Amino acid sequence: MKKIIKLTINGESVEAAVEPNRTLLQFLREDLGLTGTKHGCGLGDCGACTVIMEGRAVNSCLILAIQAHGKEIITIEGLAEGGRLHPIQQAFVDKGAIQCGFCTPGMILSAKALLDRNPKPTEMEIRTAISGNLCRCTGYQKIVEAIESASETIGSEEVS
Amino acid sequence: MKDQDESLYYVGDFPVPESPEPGQEPKPWGKTRVIGKPIPRVDAYERVSGAAVYTSDVTFSDILYGVVLGSPYANAKVRSIDVASALKMPGVHAILTGSTKGADLVWPYVWGKDKAKLFDPHCRYEGDLIAGVCAETPYQAWDSARAIKVDYEVLPFVSDERKALDPKSKAVEAPDKRVAKTEKYERGNLEKGFAEADIVLETEYRTECQIQTPIEPHGCVAKWDGDHLTLWHSTQGVFYIQQQVAEVLGIPLSKVRVIGRYMGGGFGSKLEAGKYTIVAALLAKMTGRPVKLLLSREETFLVTGNRPPSNMKLKAGVKKDGTLTALHFTVLGTGGAYESGGISLTDWLVRDLYTCPNVMCESTEVLINAGLTCPFRAPGHPQGAWALEQMMDSLSEKIGMDPVEFRLKNIPSFSQARQGNPPYTTTGLKECLEQGAKAFGWEEARKKTAQQDKDNPVRSGVGMGACLWFVGGGGPPSTIVLKLFADGSANLNMGASDLGTGTKTIMAMVVSEELGIKPDKIQVENADTGSTQFATRSGGSKTIPTESPAVRAAAIDVKRQLFQIAAEELKVPASNLALQNGEIIPNADQSKKVKLNKLEALKKRGVIIGIGYRGPNPEKKWVNPFAAQFCEVKVDTRTGEVRIVRFFAAHDSGRVMNRLTYDNQVIGGITMGIGLAMTEMRVLDHNETGKVVSRNWHDYKLPTALDVPWEIVSIAIDPNDTEANTTGAKGLGEPVTIPTAAAIANAVYNATGIRITNTPINPLQLSRLMAEHKTRR
Amino acid sequence: MLPNFSYIRVKSLQEAVEASQGGGTHILAGGTDLLGCLRDQIFSADQIVSITRLSALKGISQTSDGGLRIGALTTITEIAESPVIKQLFPGLARAASEVASPALRNRGTVGGNLCQKPRCWYYRGEFRCLRKGGDTCYALGGENQYHGIFGSDYKCCIVHPSDIAPMLMALGASVKVTGPRGSRNVPIENFFVLPKDDVRRETVLGSGEIVEEILVPKPPDGLRTSYRKVRVRLAWDFAVVGLALALVFKGDKVELGSMVLGGTAPIPWRSKSAEHVIIGHRLDAKISLKAAETSVKDAQPLEHNAYKVSLLRAIVEEELNKLAQG
Repeated sequence: MKKIIKLTINGESVEAAVEPNRTLLQFLREDLGLTGTKHGCGLGDCGACTVIMEGRAVNSCLILAIQAHGKEIITIEGLAEGGRLHPIQQAFVDKGAIQCGFCTPGMILSAKALLDRNPKPTEMEIRTAISGNLCRCTGYQKIVEAIESASETIGSEEVS
Repeated sequence: MKDQDESLYYVGDFPVPESPEPGQEPKPWGKTRVIGKPIPRVDAYERVSGAAVYTSDVTFSDILYGVVLGSPYANAKVRSIDVASALKMPGVHAILTGSTKGADLVWPYVWGKDKAKLFDPHCRYEGDLIAGVCAETPYQAWDSARAIKVDYEVLPFVSDERKALDPKSKAVEAPDKRVAKTEKYERGNLEKGFAEADIVLETEYRTECQIQTPIEPHGCVAKWDGDHLTLWHSTQGVFYIQQQVAEVLGIPLSKVRVIGRYMGGGFGSKLEAGKYTIVAALLAKMTGRPVKLLLSREETFLVTGNRPPSNMKLKAGVKKDGTLTALHFTVLGTGGAYESGGISLTDWLVRDLYTCPNVMCESTEVLINAGLTCPFRAPGHPQGAWALEQMMDSLSEKIGMDPVEFRLKNIPSFSQARQGNPPYTTTGLKECLEQGAKAFGWEEARKKTAQQDKDNPVRSGVGMGACLWFVGGGGPPSTIVLKLFADGSANLNMGASDLGTGTKTIMAMVVSEELGIKPDKIQVENADTGSTQFATRSGGSKTIPTESPAVRAAAIDVKRQLFQIAAEELKVPASNLALQNGEIIPNADQSKKVKLNKLEALKKRGVIIGIGYRGPNPEKKWVNPFAAQFCEVKVDTRTGEVRIVRFFAAHDSGRVMNRLTYDNQVIGGITMGIGLAMTEMRVLDHNETGKVVSRNWHDYKLPTALDVPWEIVSIAIDPNDTEANTTGAKGLGEPVTIPTAAAIANAVYNATGIRITNTPINPLQLSRLMAEHKTRR
Repeated sequence: MLPNFSYIRVKSLQEAVEASQGGGTHILAGGTDLLGCLRDQIFSADQIVSITRLSALKGISQTSDGGLRIGALTTITEIAESPVIKQLFPGLARAASEVASPALRNRGTVGGNLCQKPRCWYYRGEFRCLRKGGDTCYALGGENQYHGIFGSDYKCCIVHPSDIAPMLMALGASVKVTGPRGSRNVPIENFFVLPKDDVRRETVLGSGEIVEEILVPKPPDGLRTSYRKVRVRLAWDFAVVGLALALVFKGDKVELGSMVLGGTAPIPWRSKSAEHVIIGHRLDAKISLKAAETSVKDAQPLEHNAYKVSLLRAIVEEELNKLAQG
């Protein structure tokens, strides 16, 4: 039997009826059309489905949509403002940290969750923060460089 | 049209290259404005914002979800299938089996079996197709698939290729077919070669089965409009899928459109359509609704291909002065249940990399009840390198020569393995070795490891490996269409897929180099059989060398037409015109220059269309990329834990087209090599069922951000190849992963004195080897 | 693919206890293992009872006797980042930081971590093994490179997947369990079930019983803790072998000691004989070596996991030597 959930996604209030066995990932992608968050495995192994919930990076494939009731969620679609990329996104672009792009939304959100809490992370902290995000293309190095660069950019400018 | 700000559109403080005379090849680029620079991707915004539409993002309001039911057994015959109750389950719209009308199709891509069926009643590997189901939701489809009653005759299986030739083992194909294929190569006189040697060594090596598993699962969306089928497909080549689907379904190419603009990685596993592609198409036909069929992650470990396990033996002879006298290589591999490239190219490096007059290679592909191989990023080569590069190190140690020096002594300038010994257009192997060693600090590092404290249980070691990739020159056919609009922006139309390698960006840069337009004013349309031009699959490291010359040709065609109409308008001969910063400039009188977007003739026409074709490759010469990779490791000799400290890679892939994508390929390729060397391995339940037990991403272990060295340096060696093609680029995507695993094994040997002949290098293997080594000492 | 289940979110632990009596009901906390098990069809679920809003089960606080109370819903991240745990029990913070991946640590709870299902690839795969009601342990004669070297009795050779449980056991922690008949405190070493006693379950939790909190006794003066995890890759990987140490030093002598192994047995494996080697002694290289050898003395390796013996021996020696230096 469907249950009503109310939550905030990218700053907007959302209300919907969901089956208990619907995952947050399915809800985002199929019910809300927010297809930026990707399905890679469904088991929490790859991080392609990473979103930020209540300030923490989480695997949306292992969260029931029902559990997100009352929570604040940020997906990749919530980062750019008015077509202007978030500094982390811009850093990924500038440093060439993207190849096929499938892991990219998850990577960026893991990075954002890190930088929101720890604005000046060490390289170890960065690599640890993305250690649950698998990338088969880039070998991670440019992603790490991008996150380092973004931490400097965010540190030096006022970002609302 | 209002005055555009030209700086938005054009880049260049010097003019675009001169056009060649008609019928003549353009000269190689000299100093470039754009090519070679680290320019961000043209589609970076789409990928980084979540706006890019991958196959799994395609949806329709009336879409149905398809799933595949595969055989749960390593070897079984399907006696009967009862779908009655499964069909009645909630939300189910259709179930497809071999006995469904129109589904009894030939699946001609199982090599060696011309009449193999799509629904083969004898399923010879786990996951082979039994039925397809589509329903309103994926859950309903899965529930229904599980409710299909299948009566199996479960048969004995063979899962270990090392046992496949044993007559006591079950033969995969009745009555006694165990061997799918054998290959033999020889030159010179092996016996004589070994007799001449001062040192002869023989070692056995093994690499485990590696599975591509790109992050995006395989899948497609199928939609019919009348008798016309559109497929959104995660693929490395839309035209190839079109061809396969048309062939299997028996419909004209014109009635199949395949779209694959964004795809999440391939590495060879998405070169072909899968049986799931046809299932999706048939289900969509049956129901009259679009069907989205994505393989589950578990299924990708079963049926999407792999790098086969290779059991190798290498016997090598060398003279004290470092001359190789003989190489005898044998490999036993498997392509799974049908012949499918299980030994493909594994012996190529032995045949061709180092100068050696006497060579014999014997390869045997046996059949086992497991999923089929498919080309996986440099098929055969990382396995061959694992053996050859470790043997080269062993030989160099025996003759007391530095491993880099030893390789430098044995570099051929021509292909020894090919008929007529064609020379390479360029070989940068020498420079890769020398410059790579220098940048890495090879000599000092070797001294340091030799002098390290013997009592420290954590030991450092350095190692290296070299390679070539047997193709990498690309070739025809390819057709490119380039449209120059009246405002000076352009539309590039090409069929090739961008797997994430940066194809679209590089092609836009080629246009930019020839016409001076900024890359971000060039819109690239690609990977759509309905609206883009024919291209072959993106694989084999041939995309850049194939497409970039064709793009250049299209740009030159546009330029020629542009100059022609400008010449008429300005009343100046076309040969006296230059193009710079979006302005047509008559050389004789610069004051008469006119902005492109002010050219009346161009405004009237609206668009100039240039067409470029990929011309032929140089005759009697071969284009190969080369590389040398160096690494430093730290080994905890108590536990066998290995940490890679740094990696240096020196690659000759011709001209660097885009520095960002180039370096990314190197880093990514090394990471994949680290996976082969240390963490990845398909595990089959050999004892009881033959099933794949490593079917998720924590049992099948991909390297994470913490597993790769924090320092990977990419050095580009550009040999200035003016013959390979008109852009001078060679393939890069595959050579980057060939010598990696061997370099790591060589470094571990340097650290510990233990030769690791079998992958993976991990505490499971090493802790035992270390303990044995200690007790022996 | 998750099955159809009904769902209730309870407002009190009592409600949870009442709702979860009878079969087919599963407790949802972090969900990181439950959802995976449902997807892999390890068991079915007719009803899911979410306890995620029970704030009384969250958080870390000090008890009146100077120990710690860790609510069952405390996330692994919270344990890894907790200043008081880092200060009092650094080995526990370390163990928590090595669990899975950051996103999984953010959702996974300590209660769930203790109750998690085995990761044996036969158990999680399409094999009707002994633990799932069948009659074969496929690992015994099969691909057992990651399986156990203790405690299987050649019946079921899973290893307990938790990093936190060995550490809690070494610290002498106990689990407060609340059920239909009230609450009871179960010392962690009695919380887990060996295959020979019941191959169908991993913990002593009865029908309707829920882990409420974990109690860690006050750290004695001179306590040193460490956790060492050997793995194939450096993130999101279970322990090939894991070692939790909690040693109490008086001067340079070991007064009390607990050594618990992970990745080697169906339950966190207390190595009492190795503890006896070091208790009452100065922890020098000779003693460490002797303890290491003792720790593997009774190992019963399987066909593919004999390496765990040498590996275990190596890390016991290494970690004891490290702790000896403070």
